[in-house]
Amino acid sequence: MAKQGKVAVIGLDCVPPELVFDRWREELPTLKRLTEQGCWGKLKSVVPPITVPAWSCMMSSRDPGELGIYGFRNRKDHSYDGMAFATATAVREERVWDILGRAGKQVIVLAVPGTYPPQPVNGCLVGCFLTPSAESDYAYPAALKQELTERFGPYRLDVEHFRSEEKERILEQIYRMTEQRFAMARHLATTRPWDFFMMVEMGTDRIHHAFWKYSDPAHRLYQKGHKFEHAIRDYYRFVDEQVGGLLPRLGDDTSLFVVSDHGAQNMEGGVCVNEWLQREGYLALAEPVTGPTPIGQAKLDWSRTKAWGEGGYYSRVFLNVQGREPQGVIPPGEYEAVREELRRKLEAMLDEKGRPLGTRVFKPEEVYRAVRGVPPDLIVYFGNLRWRSVGSLGLGSVHTFENDTGPDDANHSEYGIFIWREPGRRSRPVEGLSLMDIAPTILDRFGIAPPAAMQGKVIA
Amino acid sequence: MTNDGQPQGQRGTRGVTLWFTGLPCSGKSTIAQIIGEELRRRGHRVELLDGDEVRTHLTKGLGFSKEGRDENIRRIGYVCHLLTRNGVIAIAAAISPYRAIRDEVRKMVGSFVEIYADCPLEVCIERDVKGMYKKALAGEMKEFTGISDPYEPPLHPEVVLHTDQETAEASAARLLGRLQEMGYLPGAAVHEPYTPEEEAAIRRRLEQLGYL
Repeated sequence: MAKQGKVAVIGLDCVPPELVFDRWREELPTLKRLTEQGCWGKLKSVVPPITVPAWSCMMSSRDPGELGIYGFRNRKDHSYDGMAFATATAVREERVWDILGRAGKQVIVLAVPGTYPPQPVNGCLVGCFLTPSAESDYAYPAALKQELTERFGPYRLDVEHFRSEEKERILEQIYRMTEQRFAMARHLATTRPWDFFMMVEMGTDRIHHAFWKYSDPAHRLYQKGHKFEHAIRDYYRFVDEQVGGLLPRLGDDTSLFVVSDHGAQNMEGGVCVNEWLQREGYLALAEPVTGPTPIGQAKLDWSRTKAWGEGGYYSRVFLNVQGREPQGVIPPGEYEAVREELRRKLEAMLDEKGRPLGTRVFKPEEVYRAVRGVPPDLIVYFGNLRWRSVGSLGLGSVHTFENDTGPDDANHSEYGIFIWREPGRRSRPVEGLSLMDIAPTILDRFGIAPPAAMQGKVIA
Repeated sequence: MTNDGQPQGQRGTRGVTLWFTGLPCSGKSTIAQIIGEELRRRGHRVELLDGDEVRTHLTKGLGFSKEGRDENIRRIGYVCHLLTRNGVIAIAAAISPYRAIRDEVRKMVGSFVEIYADCPLEVCIERDVKGMYKKALAGEMKEFTGISDPYEPPLHPEVVLHTDQETAEASAARLLGRLQEMGYLPGAAVHEPYTPEEEAAIRRRLEQLGYL
């Protein structure tokens, strides 16, 4: 296909290559056909491989350090509790649709993480799942909200009350959310002029976290023959059909990408990072906790605390530094030594049976081209992301198989999927791709030279 | 004093150098002038060092060879450094074509905002405010940036102004907003997207989803 035709991106959050290209390849005819019409392969995510900031990194080709976004919430200063959500206004670098819009291209942006509150674009934009409610102003232009509500009902932002054993309800909500999103996609693609179209579906992430244990024999809670054993597979088939239904609206000549921001894998357990820090002498409490207590509600003795951590699919560890934090204790001259000591100890952590966890630890300046905002001092993948981080204190042990917050079925993995169908492009697997390559490649299809600041390469 | 030891100018702002760089006729001086006037109007202490004007006294005699240009920028940078550390907003508008020297000034000054006036060469040639592009293209003027001398655009400027696509006033307005966001000017430029109740609801939702 000659350059300067249309480009479309279908994002499927959290989809791993193992499921699409291997295990269920024959069960997903649309995606399989797309791989036979173009190139495909694994797509390396960023550090950390989390929805926020991964999609913004993909669309700007800038790493989390350059964006100053290290997760859903980020420290806005060096106070102990000054966290702010990374919404659209936190993304200060241009994303693909900004550049295309300036070049006179019309864009449709639907539910791409990092787009609430909606910012003006040359076209239309529907905000992502971080919209507070269906009553919020989630669309640009503003009138689009009424049109979508009248046609499709209130915007199904996400699955409600996710931490629940009401799996039938959760499953139903995932399907309804996906159905609505693809219906919106078909509607926008056929009623608006566009040169660039992009949507992201979040159901693929939600289904993993809620149902992984039923379908993965390696999961400690797997039960063969459970009624939800095929829930993820059946949902993937549904998504494949939805993608198939969208393709005619996007056009056969359109340069089409199907991508994910990271993958998914079995979650083996949780590491109570603050319990561990306390036991290792890095964290001290001013008052003991009675039972599981989120770190934000515990009273820490900052005069005797060198480090604390955040929970989530990965962990961020922060150091309490003199002259930086309000009651810092680590002299600046000892910062690196303490950080390196912590890193060594984290990497040497064992699981509940005394086996090496295989934890990976990153220093921001080692993995990012620039470090903006207030970064964590260490980024930690417990068990290389096979274990989540639990921020609460008072659970009585470092290892836990009960979660203090969200579900415990699946964690993220480092590689997502990449499929690129374009007329004239021969089918072949490709290797060595990063999600940073997507934005430069999209711009290149429009004959626009990617800005020098973009880190990724144009995929040949 | 600010937390990082910088003296404060009026209205509690800390000193900063706003460094405009770009091809001749890309709009640097025009926007720098607008910004300077607006900041003075708001009561800030401001000094504008325009490349053309500076070459008539501070850096008089320095030519347009690489060495001459480098020394020109270093001297402007040094003055900006002195102004910045005394709580003044120093605005420099000079082609400053070489990346390495701009980065040297950045390191020296510290509180430094690089503003790239990004304008295609064709548009700059069309503007040709002083007729110099015409002379350079005719071979009558040597060592002219964009024609016979190189320009190295910044790789990571804090602000990019696409001056071929918006008016100088619009660029200036955007720049002022950005300076507020970066904390160099007072005023809440960042729109708070959530009410406290909404933020609490989002936090609960993300906790349930396992992200927090």
